[in-house]
Amino acid sequence: MKYRYQEEMSPPPARRATDVAITRFEHVYEVEPGLMTEHVTQQTFPNWDTLRLVRSRADHLAWMHRHFADKVISGEELLHDLDE
Amino acid sequence: MPDPEKEFAEEWRDAAYNCFSSGHKFCREVCPVMQVTRNESWSPTAFHANVVAMEKGELEVADVAADYVNCTGCGACELRCPNSLFTGDFYRFRTRTVDLVKAVRGLAVEQGLHQPGWQRWNLLTDERRHEPVLGATPVEQARVRDWADGLDLPIGGESILFVDCEAAFHRTSVPRSVARILNLAGYPFGLMNEQWCCGGPAAEMGYEEQARRFARHNLDDWRAAGVRRVLVLDPHDYITFTEDYPKYFGDAYDIEIVLVVELLAELIREGRLTPHVPVERAVTYHDPCRLNKRKGVWREPREILRAIPGLTFHDVDRVTQWSYCSGGGGGLPVEKPELTAKISEQRVGKAAELGVDTLVSACPWSERPLSEAGAARSIDVVDLHELLAESLGVAP
Ligand code: SF4
Ligand code: SF4
Repeated sequence: MKYRYQEEMSPPPARRATDVAITRFEHVYEVEPGLMTEHVTQQTFPNWDTLRLVRSRADHLAWMHRHFADKVISGEELLHDLDE
Repeated sequence: MPDPEKEFAEEWRDAAYNCFSSGHKFCREVCPVMQVTRNESWSPTAFHANVVAMEKGELEVADVAADYVNCTGCGACELRCPNSLFTGDFYRFRTRTVDLVKAVRGLAVEQGLHQPGWQRWNLLTDERRHEPVLGATPVEQARVRDWADGLDLPIGGESILFVDCEAAFHRTSVPRSVARILNLAGYPFGLMNEQWCCGGPAAEMGYEEQARRFARHNLDDWRAAGVRRVLVLDPHDYITFTEDYPKYFGDAYDIEIVLVVELLAELIREGRLTPHVPVERAVTYHDPCRLNKRKGVWREPREILRAIPGLTFHDVDRVTQWSYCSGGGGGLPVEKPELTAKISEQRVGKAAELGVDTLVSACPWSERPLSEAGAARSIDVVDLHELLAESLGVAP
């Protein structure tokens, strides 16, 4: 990861995904920035930070599955267990 | 409330309420300080809640400044916080505990509230231009390149190697190893004309004016020598050059920053370096916080370790290591060495459970406290760059 300021501060162009979401990196969605101007304003986000979070999230979910998800159960079974 | 405090509370208000209204404390058990102290006032949650109280006029920075000493800046809390890990990239708004801690420390210093150890440390750094680390080489400007004696390295050039204070004056075998490896690979680089401390530690302890002055000096030195690229072996410097300097200099910051660990992994991949001398050790790897948690760099060090013949490598994955730390960062060892020692003991204890004889790190600042804790358990603490140099047959 070579760090260059200009590159980090230039995110790939946004494509519209839905009315309220855009996408810049493959499979990564962001809220429509227009919705983040009133109550909470967005922070400076270099590209490396977006990608760090996305990758860390995937690593964390895989870790959770490795540690805790040793069987798959259906919603129906869950409801059945709750009824009992 | 004094004005700067009001401004501060306004600036951090959203972030503070974001945490305060969540309050779920996913950050708690990954925090190394919390692990060894169980002190709720020294937790990421408390660091945010205080801002809410400040904004309500219930608290002043003087009441809590000393609490904010208890943070290594490891970044575990802010990464593990769901407001970063699950929604940070979506909203372009994430938890920034490390910045918040730095900001409170800065506000305290601005108001003349000093921690005695930090005040002295930064005063000496200002006088000597380098941190007053205890080592074999006395800390003086004239001796900042002593570590390179006999290596015949040029001054200046397109790429220069920046060596942090701890490595330049204490753990000199690390930069020597790096220099020898780069020479072996035929990668051209020089040294700075007049290197000063990067300024990062001053910024972490709240002495931002000093940090900016040091940064300015270094950038001017690079410019004067026509430097285009800075090679960095220390994760703390890497953070300073990729997070603080961009903040100070904005669009004018046109220097490429390269992490040496990543460069070395690339040179191995390209076949320009081939480790061949077997190193018979049973090792585990300590993910330096600033690489793994704060930058997401964890693959390359493992790639290097797997390329070294003879090693038995007991790996502990990067996510498990989000809750590991050496305790060596954020100025903690200067002000609270006893906490650093506890955190290091805990980290070395994890290595001991694996039955290894060596703990490998890639951060010079972690290696002093880890070595001290390792000595008690007969675990060697070795730097990754040194280990690679050994396997390449270019001992420092
Ligand atoms: S820092 Fe994040 S995880 Fe911790 S209490 Fe605040 S919102 Fe929750
Ligand atoms: S940065 Fe690390 S030491 Fe500081 S509060 Fe967060 S987890 Fe704790």
